[in-house]
Amino acid sequence: MSCLIVQSDKTLLLEVDHERADDCRRAIAPFAELERAPEHIHTYRVTPLGLWNARAAGHDAEQVVDALVQYSRYPVPHALLVDIAETMDRYGRLTLSKHPAHGLVLTTTDRPVLEEVLKSRRITPLVGARIDPDTVVVHPSERGQIKQTLLKLGWPAEDLAGYVDGEAHPIELLEDGWNLRPYQKQAVENFWHGGSGVVVLPCGAGKTLVGAGSMAQAKSTTLILVTNTVSARQWKHELVKRTSLTEDEIGEYSGTRKEIRPVTIATYQVLTTRRKGVYPHLELFDSRDWGLIVYDEVHLLPAPVFKFTADLQARRRLGLTATLVREDGRESDVFSLIGPKRFDAPWKEIEAQGYIAPADCVEVRVNLTDSERLAYATAETEEKYRFCATTATKRKVTEAIVRRFAGQQILVIGQYIDQLDELGEHLDAPVIKGETSNAQREKLFDAFREGEISVLVVSKVANFSIDLPEATVAIQVSGTFGSRQEEAQRLGRVLRPKADGHQAHFYSVVARDTIDQDFAAHRQRFLAEQGYAYRIVDADEILAEG
Amino acid sequence: MSATVDRMSPEAPSAPRSLAEALRARDDASLAALLRSRPDLITPVPTDLTQLATRAGTRASVLRALERLDRFALQTAEALAVAPDPASYRTLLGLMAGDGGDETVAAALPRAVATLREQALVWGDDERLRLVRTARELLAPTPQHPSPTGLGPTVREATSGMSPGRIQDIVTTAGLPSTHDSVSAVTALTALFADRRKMTKLLAGAPEAAREVLDRLVWGPPYGQVTAEPAAHLRWLLDRGLLLPTAPGTVVLPREVALHLREGRAHRAPEPLPPAVEPAANHSPQVVDATAAGQAYTALATVEELLKDWDEGGPAVLRAGGLSVRDLKRTAVALDVSEPVTAFWIELAYAAGLLASDGEADERYAATPAYDEWLERPAAERWVRLAEAWLAVTRTPGLVGGRDAKDRTLSALGPGLDRSAAPEVRHRVLTLLAGLPQGTAPDTESVLARLRWERPLRGPQPDDDLRTRLARWTLSEAELLGVTGRGALSAHARALLGATPAAATGGPKRGTAPDAATGGASGAGPTTVGSGTPAASAKPASPAASARPGAPAPGAAAPEPSGPGDKLPVHHHRPPGHPAPLSPAEQSAATAAAARLLAPLLPEPLDHVLLQADLTAVAPGPLRRPLADVLGVLADVESKGGATVYRFTPASVRRALDAGRTAADLHAFLAEHSRTPVPQPLAYLIDDVARKHGHLRVGAASSYVRCDDDTLLNEILADKRAAALRLRRLAPTVLAAPADPATLLEGLRAMGYAPAAESAEGDVLIARAHAHRTPPRAAPEPVPDGPPAPDATLLTAAIRAIRAGDLAATTPRKTGGAPLASGELPRTSAAETLATVQAAVLTGESLWIGYVNADGAASQRVIGPVRVEGGFVTAYDHTADEVRTYPLHRITGVAELADD
Repeated sequence: MSCLIVQSDKTLLLEVDHERADDCRRAIAPFAELERAPEHIHTYRVTPLGLWNARAAGHDAEQVVDALVQYSRYPVPHALLVDIAETMDRYGRLTLSKHPAHGLVLTTTDRPVLEEVLKSRRITPLVGARIDPDTVVVHPSERGQIKQTLLKLGWPAEDLAGYVDGEAHPIELLEDGWNLRPYQKQAVENFWHGGSGVVVLPCGAGKTLVGAGSMAQAKSTTLILVTNTVSARQWKHELVKRTSLTEDEIGEYSGTRKEIRPVTIATYQVLTTRRKGVYPHLELFDSRDWGLIVYDEVHLLPAPVFKFTADLQARRRLGLTATLVREDGRESDVFSLIGPKRFDAPWKEIEAQGYIAPADCVEVRVNLTDSERLAYATAETEEKYRFCATTATKRKVTEAIVRRFAGQQILVIGQYIDQLDELGEHLDAPVIKGETSNAQREKLFDAFREGEISVLVVSKVANFSIDLPEATVAIQVSGTFGSRQEEAQRLGRVLRPKADGHQAHFYSVVARDTIDQDFAAHRQRFLAEQGYAYRIVDADEILAEG
Repeated sequence: MSATVDRMSPEAPSAPRSLAEALRARDDASLAALLRSRPDLITPVPTDLTQLATRAGTRASVLRALERLDRFALQTAEALAVAPDPASYRTLLGLMAGDGGDETVAAALPRAVATLREQALVWGDDERLRLVRTARELLAPTPQHPSPTGLGPTVREATSGMSPGRIQDIVTTAGLPSTHDSVSAVTALTALFADRRKMTKLLAGAPEAAREVLDRLVWGPPYGQVTAEPAAHLRWLLDRGLLLPTAPGTVVLPREVALHLREGRAHRAPEPLPPAVEPAANHSPQVVDATAAGQAYTALATVEELLKDWDEGGPAVLRAGGLSVRDLKRTAVALDVSEPVTAFWIELAYAAGLLASDGEADERYAATPAYDEWLERPAAERWVRLAEAWLAVTRTPGLVGGRDAKDRTLSALGPGLDRSAAPEVRHRVLTLLAGLPQGTAPDTESVLARLRWERPLRGPQPDDDLRTRLARWTLSEAELLGVTGRGALSAHARALLGATPAAATGGPKRGTAPDAATGGASGAGPTTVGSGTPAASAKPASPAASARPGAPAPGAAAPEPSGPGDKLPVHHHRPPGHPAPLSPAEQSAATAAAARLLAPLLPEPLDHVLLQADLTAVAPGPLRRPLADVLGVLADVESKGGATVYRFTPASVRRALDAGRTAADLHAFLAEHSRTPVPQPLAYLIDDVARKHGHLRVGAASSYVRCDDDTLLNEILADKRAAALRLRRLAPTVLAAPADPATLLEGLRAMGYAPAAESAEGDVLIARAHAHRTPPRAAPEPVPDGPPAPDATLLTAAIRAIRAGDLAATTPRKTGGAPLASGELPRTSAAETLATVQAAVLTGESLWIGYVNADGAASQRVIGPVRVEGGFVTAYDHTADEVRTYPLHRITGVAELADD
């Protein structure tokens, strides 16, 4: 009995408790994508993209087929093996490379393939003159576009055109008293070897350090794109602390400051600001000869940035994220423009290594009162979620939980300001929301860090990248509908390893029998697939305890 | 046709003089072989050999026999068709092997001749080989049907219409002495062309351009175009008879000249040997068997899933028969396979008798009772049943989605899918696979090439003829069904085919390769002979064939004819198209052997699943059926294959509750079958759904009784007389009844109550006679006593018609014989009718005709024919007063009107 089961829909089921599971995981990791990692059986999926990435990394069809046949418990259907071989065979028929005279060219080893793709109406505007029967000129600015289009046509091009080195700038890691963790090293190595790509690490697992490690590897000017100003400051702080870079070498390019330094941290917001139909800050990309571009929280990459990124194919690109799930389904665009996934660590694996805290996830189901139920039933569709998400019972439950964990650092997170204000009032806790000034925010965060405040109520402004080291309990009272990555990010708030190593708690308060419950189920999917099992309890139990 | 069959001479001849005589000389075994290969000859059984010979010479029968020849035998027959009749074996060999000789051809030829002889297409001894005349007519080249040899007519045939003077000119120009008649001149010319040495000399003098012309025509087609004034080099050829005119502007290269240029060869490329089936890949037999077994299990699971999907009333049967495209698509989605594959599974279940139309008025497809029996059998037996059905069925799911000759879509389970060649092709393909060593997958193209060699098409060879397509489908279907694994024939399929002696002798243990028992690759030889498969046994005399690797080697047991003598071959083989059916005993032994081989390879059903906190359950292998059934209701299947992934959702749990399970049942079920503790969210989900389940109740009632006073309702319920109303208490103040409100009112009134009817809004309905209305209706049309009084126009027309009719009826006729009785139609023969009408056109006279219209009503008319053409008479009809056209065949007869 072996540990792998190959399904007809090209998913691979890996029995994790099997003695050969680790060998098997290593054998299939190069070409199969980990899709779900619950407690007993992990699901991997074999996709064309995964197979092509494996080809790009130097694996051939023979190895893939061998891995499947070797570890499979049941005979692998012949058709599936044939399909895998045929899919992998499509990679590398076309190559993008530098031609000494013509610049970027697309060459083929299989002329009919070139003929086929050149017939496509989407390819025609991207290419120039045909140099010889097997070679055609590609406009250098369309390098990203043509790769993306060829991928969609099913003939992925091998990109041998290489990267520009960019303007050199000395950057070293200052490993005094700390070291890159093994998985961080592995991530940097995988990224550097692959040239460009995305690194997926759980929240709190130290993605910033992967960025810093990559910069130390590149030793060149770097552009870092982050989600907001707070996050930009934290990057700067971390870089100064962990690398040889000084404050002066790091610039901030945001709504308030416009500094361009060897290492520049810019927010997505400023880049996508539009004035009179043009993006005035786009020149940032050309303002220096960047050798590396880092995209923080790449799952939030706004659509316009995709377009700019397509033009940056000659520069090394590193994407960082905890949850590469986008509710708009543009994950594949991330992969084709930033680069394939270079490193992915299941949350539970990092937890097992002790780098993130174990978490107890609880879904608390509250009942609407009779009058609320009637009001909910008659509410307009677009108002329904707001109605059930802000039920008064949630407040009572939240208070009960806060009481239970009195003395610990508690975050209360929600979507609706009214609800948060009311909670703040009842809990006697400060509220951080959109209108809170940055200075005030940082002040409150500091106070929270110092333990002066033990309960903080935050709106979705705190979704990303705020460093709250000692938060051990998070209570979510409402969210952005069914957003899976928001749920994961929020859980991430409590996953920083605790000094005393104790467990983190994540409570999600949900109104029973309403769309709140449906959204919650969807939100939890990503984490459930990462192996975070939600316990469900009734509000009555909590209230009874409190 | 029967010209080849001469009456038998009284004295016994040393050499047969006719096919009948040749047949008479054959022994019983040899005749049996003939009849086996051409079964059409004994339907019905001929009275004597003469009749048999006659029948064997009929065009249809010969055509059928020719179509079933392998390529080399056909080439041999084609060569005989261009050879003199009769031809000696030596002549034939010359034509097949060329002047230079060809050892392979020489070795294979006796076998081909023997085949032709056995099939009674050729008779006569080696000195006088005769091709049956019909075959000769079919195969000999004519301008309309050029022969595959590319040869033209002989000099004699080409010069048959030529003037003697012209022939003499040619003879002298060619350097021969002139003769006194054309016959001897042609003979001399033929002799010259057949003489290699003299021809070489003659052609040596040819201009360069002339040689090029010859080179162009030599391999056919032998016809060329020339202008009225041919160029000098053409002139040169024409003058010497190297090209002969066939029609104005057309010339032909005479057969003898072409043969000289071809060094005697009738075929550019004789193909004496069947192309070998090339191996494409080698897998270990274990891998092949395991893969095939895995696929076999999938086949069983898919068929079960299909019929489960159709369990509660399958899709409707189309009026024209078959399954609608929409239903096929829906089923494909349900099975999660492509539509062609779905069609295959559906047809397979149908072929195995597991699924059929229910024959009700509203016809639907459904599982048959045989399906329920099938389900109870062990998995290996179930598979064998499917595989046997597949082997024998003539229906070809590959055609589904295509269009028939009338451009109608061919639907799954519909008509028009039967292809009688399918079982034979399937059997043949699998036999070829069985000829390869275990674990060897064949190259598809080489299999197809081999099949084409065995059954060449006469005429052009399209790449996707039916047999080729059938063979391709066979290969893909065999893989789907688990007959092959990784492209190679599995051990259980070998056993099923009876392709291993081991299968017949019973129970080879797994691991002892059945082939090894018979000696490696050549082991297939005796086997194929035993099962009567054609290719291997059809060429026992070809030593070259046995030397080639990969091809089924001829059986060592087959005695080899020692030479080309007029020996009748030993008849142990049958031609392609008739796989010898295994005897019932052999068949059941093969079936049992296949099931025995397959059984240990099939995965053992499990009795547990793994439950996970993300609300999925994974069955790490096939599940026991009761478990799978319950789980299939309780959860949705998310992914299939070796394992099954189920997902629990509120809807799926509700489905289980609807199916009559309680929450406690479900908890117990999960706890019993889960290897791991039941995750809390799953337990919660079940309780949560169960809590709400059945909270709301829905039922049907036709009327209700409402009363604020519940004691009154108690009273009514307690009343015995209310029993008939079947009242039910829904709430303290409401009773429901299945009766309509009027009956309920009536009943309550009878019991002495005074109920009031209530409207939908709850108001009391005022009892008022209900005015019942029909939908809009028209008033009836009056039915008068007689027709209405005619108006003037109508009257005038009527009178004119009556007068004209009167004229027709009373005009004295010229017709001889008795005057016709009043009302009787004139009767004349068709020829007479035509002649009379034509004459009337010329003379301009009017005629009296009897006419039967399209409704069969007869009438008499007087017409003045204007013209007769295309079976119609166009005439001025005096009766109707207008020009009309009458079909001649509707005219019963004509008579001329009297002159006055």
